[in-house]
This record gives sequence, structure tokens and C-alpha cells, in this order.
Amino acid sequence: MALVDLDLINPYFRVRQVKNDFAEKGIAVISPPGKLAGADIPALPPTIHSVLENPAIYGVFDVGGGDIGATVLGRFKNKLPDGAFNLFLVVNTCRPYSSSVSDIINITRMIEGSSRLNVGALVSNTNLGMETDVATILAGHRVIAQAAAQMALPVAFIGLHEGLAPAMGNIGVPLLPLTMFMKTPWQ
Amino acid sequence: MRVLMKGNEAIGEGAVRAGCRYFFGYPITPQSELTHYLAKRLPEVGGLFLQAESEVASINMVYGAAAAGARVMTSSSGPGISLMQEGLSYLAGSELPSVIVNLMRGGPGLGNIAPSQSDYFQAVKGGGHGDYHMIVLAPNTAQEMLDTMGKAFDLADQYRNPVMVMADGIMGQMMEAVDLAGDTKIEIPPKPWATTGMAHHTGKNVINSCLVIPEEMEELNLRLEKKYKVISQKEQACDQYMLADADIVLVAFGLVSRICMSAVEKARAMGIKAGLIRPITLWPFPTELIEKTADKTRAYLTVEMNMGQMIEDVRLAVRGRAPVFHYGRLGGMVPELKDVLAEIKNLHEGGTGR
Repeated sequence: MALVDLDLINPYFRVRQVKNDFAEKGIAVISPPGKLAGADIPALPPTIHSVLENPAIYGVFDVGGGDIGATVLGRFKNKLPDGAFNLFLVVNTCRPYSSSVSDIINITRMIEGSSRLNVGALVSNTNLGMETDVATILAGHRVIAQAAAQMALPVAFIGLHEGLAPAMGNIGVPLLPLTMFMKTPWQ
Repeated sequence: MRVLMKGNEAIGEGAVRAGCRYFFGYPITPQSELTHYLAKRLPEVGGLFLQAESEVASINMVYGAAAAGARVMTSSSGPGISLMQEGLSYLAGSELPSVIVNLMRGGPGLGNIAPSQSDYFQAVKGGGHGDYHMIVLAPNTAQEMLDTMGKAFDLADQYRNPVMVMADGIMGQMMEAVDLAGDTKIEIPPKPWATTGMAHHTGKNVINSCLVIPEEMEELNLRLEKKYKVISQKEQACDQYMLADADIVLVAFGLVSRICMSAVEKARAMGIKAGLIRPITLWPFPTELIEKTADKTRAYLTVEMNMGQMIEDVRLAVRGRAPVFHYGRLGGMVPELKDVLAEIKNLHEGGTGR
């Protein structure tokens, strides 16, 4: 399994910073090598092709930076035939410009336009960081489910802090409980 | 309504809520999300976002808009702020209310895009030429970044002075919950001095900092000095934490103050009477409060993401009554909680810092 760090937009909090932790768990992180890892330049490591061309590798691409960040995906369009991949749009309705059904549809269309790929499912990921509670997740999920229905897309799963999962009950969508590894400098 | 915002977005939204309708700037990491946000947001409220050809152009566009009485801002990071220094001096000399945001990154030189607090001297000691001061504000949460913008524009208008809002790159990039339910009533004071055309005022309004007659130049300097004195007396702001009985006092601003707050808690759990002063205004520096603590403090420790810049202002406030030490990380490295705690322990045991 490989995790491809395609986040060219946000120079902070990228998976490449915890590359070694992933390696310990048997997940290879593919990101610009050496000095380029800490830069804000659009550098794409050639090893990305090893993930795209080797069917034995299950690849997860982390694409940051909204519609502008998604442009880089378009570069790989010819290596991503329909059926060979699934493009998830992770939605947090507590974020600016993705709080309403029309916002979500709009950002989906913009990302599809810039990546030249079709979004296959939404991921319900509403959170307020440390302040998230079940009510926050459910309120966000209602909006996301409505947006997904209007676009005839499924909601793949709900991503949430593992501590909140037991209180969610059964709402007909799989839950992906998350364990937090990265902490703030004051924790 | 609570939303999850990056510090950069919170600054942008805070500016819009403060009635700022003009932004002139040039992208630079780690503040580009601020320009990105305002490029979307300002047109929604009838404002103007303009990406200038350079930071030099940006700051002079700010000068023009401020002269016309607009609430206007720009933002950048170290290298871009360096390019703006001439313009900042002009803004101060012409007494133009304006807000400048610096999301600091590693330097000197081109440096890197990682977080830093190494532009402290540049912000509080001048940077540009001539006798002048900017008011410098240092928020430490995304919420405060949003709220600070209203304060920054108000202070700028009240004193007809440029105001800088300073934070490190992490604060621009990290996301925190922000409450948008607060007051959005915008009260912009009348600006009878602004160059808005003869239809709006009698007599000729001139915005200028070129005074060729030495007597007139001196007069401006004296007038500015009088203003700076009032600001120094009235606008010092800081937070304090567990200070009442503290004998080891940490001084830190921005993100680092949050690390220090945790360090103080951990030190207290070990039986060390540690406390924290967090300057909110870096200029005027909160000298008054620090001065008051000097006689009961055994040692001060400034923790900064630089080689020791704010330490000079702490020493000036303490005036030799207690030793002042510094712990810093550089180049994008962030002081770690355990290392700050080790410094506190060292001072507690009679050590003399690094």
C-alpha cells in the first residue's frame, strides 16, 4: 500500500512530515525527495508512476488545496481509466465554502473541472477539530447526504474521531473511526 | 455559528467583518490562503481584491486607498514585508490608517516557508527609515486572529497610524473552530482629512510626508512622538497566566505562548511556581505589567522562535532587577514543550539559561 502526498498547495501539516511513522506501519509515503519535501514548489516525484502502473499496489492519493490543488490530478488522467480508481471528495460543512448543498455541488464541479476526473463518492467528514461533538457530525452529514443525493453520488463513509463513534448509532452509512496521531506543539 | 478556519482565513474574514473592502497584495507562502480567501470573499461584499505586480506596488496601493479614506489592508511574509518597508515608513509619515499582516517564515534571506518569529525587530523597532512606530498586534488563536482584525482597523483609524498584525506561519495554516456570531456592526469614524474631492470637504486636503523645511519636519516628528506616547500609555495589552505567585516568569507571544502555557502547567505540577506573560501588543510593549512583576520574580525566560529579539524589551522593562534568559528555536523549528519545561527546571534549580 502506498500513500501519495500530492498536496502541492498547503506547505504545512502534510503526510510527508510523518513519513517514517507510516513506514513503520508498512505504508510507503510517496512525496518529493530530499530538500524538495519542505518546499512550496510543484514537484512531482517520478515514483508516483510506480503506484499508477503496478496493479499490485493499492494507492491512496492525498490531494490537498481544493479545486486548485486538484489540477495536479489532471496530469495523471491518462493513467486513471474509469473503473480503475475512485475519487472521494472529503466534505466538512464547518469549513468555509462547503457549508451548504449548493456550496458542495459547486466545489465538486470545480474539482471535477480542474482534475478532469469524476468524483465517485462524498466522504462525510464534518468536524470542528477538538470541539467536534456528535450533533456537529450529524448536522453536517444531513447536508452532505442531501448534496450527494442531488448529484446521484453515494456517501462512502463518515470519518470521525474514534471516541465519538460509539455514540453515533446506526445511521445507515459506514463509520471510519479515526485515531489521532499528530498533535499540536502544546499537547 | 462556529466554523473551522485556518488562521489565514480567519484574518481574511475578520477584515471583511471590520469593514475592510480593499486588499492589495502579492502571494507568498505561508500566507497565500489569506489572499486566496479574500480573492473569493471581497467581491461577495462589493469589495476589491487586487493582486499587484509586487509587494512594493501593493503597499503603495494601500497608501493610495488609505489616503482616500478606505479601510484597506495588505499581507505578506518576511521577504515581502521587507520589500514594503519604504511604504510603511511613508504610511507612518503621512499618518495613514492601514493594516499590514505578516505571517512570519524562516529567514534571513529567502529563508524557507516554515514558521518563525524572527521579524520582531523589524516590526517593533522600525524596519523602515525615520522615527516612527507601527502598532503591532500578536494574536495566538484563530478566533483571536479574526477578532484582532477589527481591533487593528479601529486602532489604525483612531490614531491615523499603520497597524501590523503578526503571527507565525503555523498560525496561518492551522485550523481551529471560530465563532462568527459576534458583533458585525461596522463603525468607521469620519475621515475629514481624506482626499475624497472638494465636494466632500472645504479646503485642500493633502496627504504627504515630504517636508523640505527642517522646522516643519521637526514639527511632524514631535507631533508623531506625542501620538506614540499616548498609544504607549493607553494601548499596552497582554494576557497573564498563573502570575500572582510566580517566581519564574515566561514571556512569549503568538503560538509559542500556547506552548509556554502548557509548560507552566506542567512546571506547577512539579511544584515550580512558574507563570506566563503573553504580550498581545508587541508595540506598545506591555512594559507596565512586566515592570510590576520585576521585584518578585527570580528569573524571566523569553521563549521565541528567533535568536532573542523580544528579550531586549523584557530587559528594558525589568531594568536589571532580575535576570532575563532566552530560549529559542530557529529556521522553522518550533520550541518543544519538554524543552521549554527543561529550561524552566534549569532556572528553578539556579541555572543561568543557555
